[in-house]
Amino acid sequence: MKKFLLFALLLLAAPAFLSAAESHSKVLAITGGRLLTVSHGVIENGVLVIADGKIAAVGEAGKVKIPADATIVDARGLTVYPGLIDPESNFGLVEVGSDKNSSDLAEPSDEIMPHMHVYDAFHAETELIPIARLNGVTNAVVAPANNDSIAGQDIFIQLAGADRDQMILGRDVALAMNFGANQRRKGGRGSKPEFPTTRMGLVTQLRQTFFDTEDYVARRDAAAKKDDKAFKRDLKLEALIPYLKGERPVVIGVYEAHDVETIMEVAKEFHLKVVLNHVTHSQDVLDKIAVWKVPVIVGSIYDFPRSNERYDAVYTLPAELAKRGVKIAISSADAGGPVSSTSSRNLPYAAGFAAAYGLPHDEALKAITLNVAEMFGFGDSLGSLDVGKTANVVLANGDPLDVRTDVKQVYIQGVAVPMTSRQTKLRDEYSK
Amino acid sequence: MIYPLQPLRRQRRAARHLVWIAFVLAGFAVGSSAQQQAATTDLVFKNATVMTASHGTIEHGSVWVHNGKIAAVGAQVSAPSSATVVDATGLWLTPGIIDPHSHSALGDDVNEATSPITPSLHMADAFDNRDKALYQALAGGVTTELLLHGSANMIGGQAVVIKNKFGLDRNAMLFPNAPGSIKFASGENPKRVYGSRDQVPSTRMGNFEVMRQSFEDAKNYMATWDGYNAKVAKGDKDAAAPKRDLKLEALADVLRGKLYVQIHCYRADELLTEEALAHEYGYKIRAFHHALETYKVAGKIASEGTAIATFADWWGYKDEAWDAIPWNAVLSMRKGVRVALKSDSNDHIRRLNQEAGKMVHYGGATEDEALRMITLNPAWIIGVDERTGSIDVGKDADLVLWNHDPLSTYAQAQKVYIDGDLFFSTELPGLGTAHFSGVMHDASDEGSYDEGDAQ
Repeated sequence: MKKFLLFALLLLAAPAFLSAAESHSKVLAITGGRLLTVSHGVIENGVLVIADGKIAAVGEAGKVKIPADATIVDARGLTVYPGLIDPESNFGLVEVGSDKNSSDLAEPSDEIMPHMHVYDAFHAETELIPIARLNGVTNAVVAPANNDSIAGQDIFIQLAGADRDQMILGRDVALAMNFGANQRRKGGRGSKPEFPTTRMGLVTQLRQTFFDTEDYVARRDAAAKKDDKAFKRDLKLEALIPYLKGERPVVIGVYEAHDVETIMEVAKEFHLKVVLNHVTHSQDVLDKIAVWKVPVIVGSIYDFPRSNERYDAVYTLPAELAKRGVKIAISSADAGGPVSSTSSRNLPYAAGFAAAYGLPHDEALKAITLNVAEMFGFGDSLGSLDVGKTANVVLANGDPLDVRTDVKQVYIQGVAVPMTSRQTKLRDEYSK
Repeated sequence: MIYPLQPLRRQRRAARHLVWIAFVLAGFAVGSSAQQQAATTDLVFKNATVMTASHGTIEHGSVWVHNGKIAAVGAQVSAPSSATVVDATGLWLTPGIIDPHSHSALGDDVNEATSPITPSLHMADAFDNRDKALYQALAGGVTTELLLHGSANMIGGQAVVIKNKFGLDRNAMLFPNAPGSIKFASGENPKRVYGSRDQVPSTRMGNFEVMRQSFEDAKNYMATWDGYNAKVAKGDKDAAAPKRDLKLEALADVLRGKLYVQIHCYRADELLTEEALAHEYGYKIRAFHHALETYKVAGKIASEGTAIATFADWWGYKDEAWDAIPWNAVLSMRKGVRVALKSDSNDHIRRLNQEAGKMVHYGGATEDEALRMITLNPAWIIGVDERTGSIDVGKDADLVLWNHDPLSTYAQAQKVYIDGDLFFSTELPGLGTAHFSGVMHDASDEGSYDEGDAQ
């Protein structure tokens, strides 16, 4: 309760915002809108009741009891849907792309860096977050850049809160792995090439690391039995233990079909709980991905096809995966480069583009809401308009996936966040 | 006049254009089918939602194309019965998309970053007409592009205008007799390139002083030639011609207003500095490119008559893009600035229609206004607005048929016509190209989209 008062106080800067005293206890009933529940279809003329920051009721008008003390939010003519979740962002890890001082994206010193925790670097006050929030993005996975085979551990955030502690909903929610051409140290860390300069080297290094971890666990457990005070902890190997136990997902960034097959062999050898990321040029192994039953984060959907490939070879990837029963998420990145969260606000349009190229519209919305929540362990609390879930809700004047649609209001934990950002302030200042 | 009115390169290029035009007019049977069809066919689109870009939208409209030009547009048109009919029921017809800022098909040849002033370099010399980026843009409905230098140099060189007739040979893709444009740049990019070598310009102070010095050199060069020409005019047979200098000739063309000046810059103060410099030396600025802070000084830019070619919503990738706001285009338009959206990217060029759609969201542009930002307005920036950029009688039949409202996320270009000839269709097998065969090149996956080049 206390943290919510803080949250509300922070947001007082916006004139339209609820006062601190009434913010959290307030009961809201959003009425008359078109509800895209994600989990159980579309409700025309629906009612959504929010209490204590959670969804208290959802259903058709007339079938949902509106509490007497509820403040009515008239959503006639509006579309109501769950807050969007970006499955791969770098919010708070870099502010201005060209300014190296503002970057905490990756440790280039070694390929194996599982003990890098994004929560240690996350800059909660980044200007990028309110900007993405204005387009309905309420949650995101924050991952380190893809320089390393094992780059570190992700956090799962909420795009509102007084400080980082309120905004980080989950620490070390996934291990960020990468495999392919980019991780090879062809140019070396300094001036000369250094191991591993080949995919062979990358795989050997990964397997050795996982064996080292198993060995470490055995020695640690033995030392614990003997109450051996001299046992020295190894933070790097320790960080890998939950992933070798399959307790948490390993997100593997990989582009080429043959790389997918190679890294999946390693993943199976060590029983990793895999989420594949990108798979941009893996059209040849989509059936295998379906057989493996691993979920996939597709993106960037704007990555370029190869020469003489059809122009839509990548645009159609989400639809092709979904058709095979693969659970997909869609990320917000632009083509051909590192993720930049300056484009996170375009997340719904990436999903819409997948819909333009064959993905059913409801699956497209699910790929940026419920599916992401489920992949990262938040399926019970986020991603759909269901009773008991956190009230992260968006009101917009049309189809959420259309570039022309304007988001009118975003609620995070049931609180109407101010629809302002550094950019709206500049707009307003120069519109006078 | 012995005086070199235009640089040799341009003359040679113009000559090549003339050859090509003569070739088409003669209707030689050995030409590609595209060239023949453009000269002989009648085509009529029926029952389309015709978005003209110049005079509103016609529901259930028709467009008649005769010999590659638009012959009629309206609710009904009187095309000959022999015309090929395209049933466009349920489809949208727009002018071809025009990108006023692309680096496609230029590979890594966009910056001769060995000197900050390289005005005589011609982008046409690096144009690779088989680059896959052209194909991917064609499939996104792009029919005309201004291919520009990067921004390492204060004056990078002269641009090339192409029609995206992917599959035809290099010269057939050059926009015939398009006006010349020259690319200037200022701000962080030239600062970084030369600053990293401890050379001028390492600052914005250096940026503009380098420009002034160059124009002083050009004025001196012009005076030398004027003096020589005066002697010749008086009948002085012994007058010695000064040495031709390609760099100074190009700068003289700027000062004489023979080239459209296209300037890469971002900040509001810099836009005004550039305008002041233009006044100081008496040239006009056709358009600012990027121009992400135009909204701060839009009234002044409007009164100068300078257009902008800006991003819909790219921002924040560097300091001078930090005050970018997605309302820039519409706010500037409302203050009277002629606004175009551009790609500067082999990625965004494939979906400029969506970038325009975002303007409905950011600032409430009408669909008509948004469409003009990717058709008629960029055509003006390039100087081809009398010939393409809208669906009007007499204009080139550069047309795109879409399966959804082209400003929505869901629109796919179904058919793309240039000069009345079909170049892309989703109904064609394989790549969907009508004139391409062979192997595409990969000039660069990212054009010059990196810190060293464009943006």
